[in-house]
Amino acid sequence: MRILFFAHLKDVTGTADTEIKLGESLDADALWQRLIAAYPGLARFRGSVRLARNGEYAGADARFDDADEVALIPPVSGG
Amino acid sequence: MQMQIELTSRPIDLCRELPRELAGAAGAAVEFQGIVRGKENGGAVAALEYEAYPPMAERVMRQTVTELGRQHPCLFVRVTHRVGVVPVGAAAIHVVAAARHRVEAFAMVTKFMDRLKQDVPIWKVRALGRPEFAASKPQ
Repeated sequence: MRILFFAHLKDVTGTADTEIKLGESLDADALWQRLIAAYPGLARFRGSVRLARNGEYAGADARFDDADEVALIPPVSGG
Repeated sequence: MQMQIELTSRPIDLCRELPRELAGAAGAAVEFQGIVRGKENGGAVAALEYEAYPPMAERVMRQTVTELGRQHPCLFVRVTHRVGVVPVGAAAIHVVAAARHRVEAFAMVTKFMDRLKQDVPIWKVRALGRPEFAASKPQ
């Protein structure tokens, strides 16, 4: 799975993107646990960050697998 | 409805004409420019740096215009958003909506901007204070 980080989350993780191997399909809660285990600094942003799966905001029942591109979307500020 | 959605790292051409085929059909064209101010969070800045998740940003903008167009039918909508360093006085976003009547065009522009600020993955990532980024004149 390819994971993308934007804005201040790049500073938190020290990278703009990374690859992780899930080996199974996960729901959002389980994916967040994996992400926070890899990047503990993400924990405090979890409440404000939305997950996108393959370029679309992920619904509450979304599942994620290794073929997906997942983006962590912090509060946006365009315009 | 015709739609043009673009992210660009270059200055936005604010003088682009509307498509010729709108002549005779459109009775109103509403334009909005979002311009970088010289103060951000109380401090003086010379420029803002914008970052986007391009494929998703373009997709969400397209979906948003399509959705709003059902409620506020327009003939044409063009959205151009800059990424990278945008100097004070320059447009970071330019939205143009043309419709048969002004009500639809105003509603499209206003509601699009509201939605952009909620959903479109674009961020102001940095305020730059260095004078070399300052615009020599507003666009």
